[in-house]
Amino acid sequence: MTVLPRLTLSALLLGASALTALPLAAETTLTVARSVDADGLDPQKVSTTQSSQVTDLIFDTLVSLDATGAPHPALAESWTISEDNLTYSFTIRQGLTCHDGAAFGPEDVVFTFTRAVAPETMNPRLSQYGPIESVTAEGNVVTVKMTEPYGPFLSYLGSFALPMLCKGSVAADGAFAPIGTGPFSLVEWVRNDHITLKANDAYQGFGQLVENKGRPHIDTLKLVVIPEAVARMAALRSGEVDLAEPSLEEAAMLSGEPGFKIYSADLSGQQVMAAFTWKLPPFDNPEVRRAIGMALDRDAYAAIAYEGLVSPTTCPAAPGLIGVDQEKCAEWGTKYDPDAARAIMEGLGYTPQNPLKIKLSVHALPGFDQMHQMMQQHLAEIGVEAELETREVAAFFDQMSQENQRTEGMPVLWTMGYSGVDSDYMTVMWQQPGFVNMGVGAELDTMLADQRMLTGEARVAKLQEVQKYLLENTYAVPLVSPGWNWLWASTDKIEGFKTGFVASLIFNDVKKID
Amino acid sequence: MLTFVARRLLTAAITILVVVFLAGVLIHLVPGDPITAMLAQSGNASAADIARLTQQYGLDRPVWQQALIYVGNVLQGDLGTTIRGNEPVAPLLLGRLPNTIALAVAGLGTALALGIPMGVIAAVNRGRAADFAVMLIAILGVSIPGFWMGLTFIQVFSLHLGWFPVAGTSARNIVLPALTLGIVHSALVARMTRSALIDILNEDYIRTARARGLREREVLMVHAMRPAMISIVTVVGLVFAHLLGGQVITENVFSWNGIGRLAIQAMLQRDYPLVQGFIVIFATSIVLVTTALDLLYGLLDPRVRRR
Amino acid sequence: MTDTALPPRRFRLPAALRHWSIATGAVILAVVVLAAILAPWVAPYDPFRMGSGPRLSPPGAAHWFGTDELGRDLFSRVLLGARASLGIGLAAVVAGLGLGVSFGLVIAFCPARLKGLLLRIVDVVYSFPDTLLALALVAFLGPGAENATLAIAISLIPFYARVTYGLAAVERAKPYVEAAQIAGTAPTRIMRVQVLPNILQSLIVIGSIGFSSAILSAAGLSFLGLGVQPPSPEWGSILASGRNYIARAPWILIFPGLAICLTVLSFNLIGDGIRDLTDPKGRRRRG
Repeated sequence: MTVLPRLTLSALLLGASALTALPLAAETTLTVARSVDADGLDPQKVSTTQSSQVTDLIFDTLVSLDATGAPHPALAESWTISEDNLTYSFTIRQGLTCHDGAAFGPEDVVFTFTRAVAPETMNPRLSQYGPIESVTAEGNVVTVKMTEPYGPFLSYLGSFALPMLCKGSVAADGAFAPIGTGPFSLVEWVRNDHITLKANDAYQGFGQLVENKGRPHIDTLKLVVIPEAVARMAALRSGEVDLAEPSLEEAAMLSGEPGFKIYSADLSGQQVMAAFTWKLPPFDNPEVRRAIGMALDRDAYAAIAYEGLVSPTTCPAAPGLIGVDQEKCAEWGTKYDPDAARAIMEGLGYTPQNPLKIKLSVHALPGFDQMHQMMQQHLAEIGVEAELETREVAAFFDQMSQENQRTEGMPVLWTMGYSGVDSDYMTVMWQQPGFVNMGVGAELDTMLADQRMLTGEARVAKLQEVQKYLLENTYAVPLVSPGWNWLWASTDKIEGFKTGFVASLIFNDVKKID
Repeated sequence: MLTFVARRLLTAAITILVVVFLAGVLIHLVPGDPITAMLAQSGNASAADIARLTQQYGLDRPVWQQALIYVGNVLQGDLGTTIRGNEPVAPLLLGRLPNTIALAVAGLGTALALGIPMGVIAAVNRGRAADFAVMLIAILGVSIPGFWMGLTFIQVFSLHLGWFPVAGTSARNIVLPALTLGIVHSALVARMTRSALIDILNEDYIRTARARGLREREVLMVHAMRPAMISIVTVVGLVFAHLLGGQVITENVFSWNGIGRLAIQAMLQRDYPLVQGFIVIFATSIVLVTTALDLLYGLLDPRVRRR
Repeated sequence: MTDTALPPRRFRLPAALRHWSIATGAVILAVVVLAAILAPWVAPYDPFRMGSGPRLSPPGAAHWFGTDELGRDLFSRVLLGARASLGIGLAAVVAGLGLGVSFGLVIAFCPARLKGLLLRIVDVVYSFPDTLLALALVAFLGPGAENATLAIAISLIPFYARVTYGLAAVERAKPYVEAAQIAGTAPTRIMRVQVLPNILQSLIVIGSIGFSSAILSAAGLSFLGLGVQPPSPEWGSILASGRNYIARAPWILIFPGLAICLTVLSFNLIGDGIRDLTDPKGRRRRG
């Protein structure tokens, strides 16, 4: 009678020591604190970065972009493009499994495209799919036909904006549950609180930026929402979370502190710039715009307002994107030269005693706030009195779409940030009517339409023509890159965390060490 | 009596409808629209996308029309779906209500636990240094901005002492936000306790009790506190109502997943169905509570019915 | 019930100053008001000038409160910030009180049916989270000091209207008002000549209570980035832009926070004292 319990006890002890001897057998949970939750997990119905950061973990893409932005095979093992650039044929890889156990195949790809462009889906990213005429499958090949050439198509297919869904995502009654082929599957979502994901045991990855092509090393990934930056940083310091979106101010401080790591999204595709309501005098005068461009000290903004955690930039599209060349842009655009700027303004009759009165319209973001106060001071030095006007995002863009249409009243200098995986976003912004009516004119519209029809070197040349036009006429003053949601901080127990395009998050290689 | 009840209920229903309609009109007059705001944060928004979605969501219709359609839907029990993420509004809001109520109850409990002893000490020592000191502390508590206190608490109790988690919505997480809210609201409780007790301690029956040689502690606890509690209970209702609505910034600082945080976010994103849903639920509960109180008074006091 | 019907006790300032909390509050408030008035002459640096000292330097002899993230002198900014905070508080209370009293009187004198509905609506608006209400209003009006003031004033209206209605309803039930009504005096005249003077004193007391909540609301709005716009110093906005330095440069949070606390404390102390002196219950059994 006494033997059995003893045996059980020693067996237990043995088991326990075996467990401690094999730390890999323990469940690893990585907790990540973000400022904002996803709006939804249906990638065809949401559009914010915070939403796509999550859907990107659940779904994979047809192609995968490398660090230079070139497309490589992923869910599509190969593809061909017709001579006239109108027909894309993707050969879909076989042997892939969805989170619900179903096989992933061409019919899922057709399902994804069909649903994405259907009007009733109300897809906010419809325009990124391009002028799709039809999507059909034959054997392993999915054929996408366009009504006109669409140069950036492959770039967008490689971004987190256009991922591939499994048919199982939409139930018979139309209810949506995110089911994909990505490295993680959804366990639980409590809106505004946390999202729990677990590693996909059957995962086969093709990401160009990833080393571990199999199942992620961590078992559970928990994304929690902590809106207040001070609290987020406290949670990181106390060990409650492993990785967090830091405040700019604390990121600068942590980068010199042992025990912590700071990550910056190098492939963010983000560009921060200043723009003008150029229809309003005297901003209709390119000389005035030029003078203002020369008054703005992008080096100081990067070093002081953004604590040196961003780089000053000279192009209207972000560094690393196709056709973006900082040196050429530097030639075309304005350089910081307050004396020359002051001389131009004095020549036009504006002095510190009789200043040009403008509004500096902005919305609040970390770093931006300090930059705007510095801009205000820099403008004052050349005889421009700028009144700072901060709005929250919704009201700001609404206001700007009205300001950009006005032809009389007080001129407005405004700042904005834009991001994407392809310089094509200049089309979205500047082609008339343009984003918040910032479109410029017929000459630029033609150039922007042309670049979409081109590929390769010809497209690069046309994209540079666009940038030269924007800079020489000073429609835009590029300032810094990246500029928002680009920083991450972790404890030094975390290894292998990376950021991808447009501030996407890559956890495939992450390991937690003790 | 029946007509009285019917009239009260009718007024209540009309009030809710008027508030919902007004809110529907007013919120659409606020500059900024949900589609532009949403797409601006996506990095790739074409003017065509914005125009198309605006039309699909019916946001291009005249404001009064949108408000009327909304009232019609509410009458059919439909609060709509959010613009961000396309989720049904009602479960989203109602799912957060328990969290908000839990924090309000915890905040109220803390306010009472802090306020009543302070009030008692102040009343017993009326006019003496202890009275001044205690009331000064109580008033100081209500003078500290909630967000400032919250941030400090996180630094001290979560980070340096490690007593409580920084963020989240669970039983252990409730302590710091409840303490913040409790401190802010304890001044009112302390004040009410103090003045109620001072009143009662001057009553003849207390003097009699003292004259009978009862110990002061006994006089206080047995004879004075009970009647004083009646006045304190009236404050409780007031504080609780305020806590239900007034904890938005506290929820944000402590990442508490309450209804206020959701409402603020919806407001900033101009997610009209969500904001309106919040207003409907909030207004309905307030009107129901006031109507219930009214009916209760009506039952207790026949004169009220004739008003 | 008889208590509330008694005419309010006369409130005399010298006597009031002998009340401990009013005296303490008045002293603190006097210091803050003095700082607000004298700020431009007392401030050691230009509160707007960047690089008055090294960025984020701790409090010391050169910069008593330290410097902020752009190297501006914090002491000068907190000093000048008193103007914005007190100004917003005063303007919001005056505007809110004026409108609230008018609404309250109108409700008290309007026909019974409409009264019920109006009161319900006021109740609903009053019970609304004030932060959310002010936020919605600022979103509607646009950000800035003036609009924040207006938003706070509007969010104070339901409270003042409710209290005024309560006081006016009591006055209205008194024989002299009923007599005037029977004599055919116009309601507006009754409100102005008979009711308002009688409730004025209570209203002033309530006004002082609104002050502290107005200043806290202003700080809250600025903290959310919707109040006073940078670079103008206001305590809430200094806190908002400095909050992320809580580990690196805590003085940016400590000093403006203390300034808010002390100012609000002074108003609360004064309000508490006034309530104490005018509370009919406390008074009846005095001595």
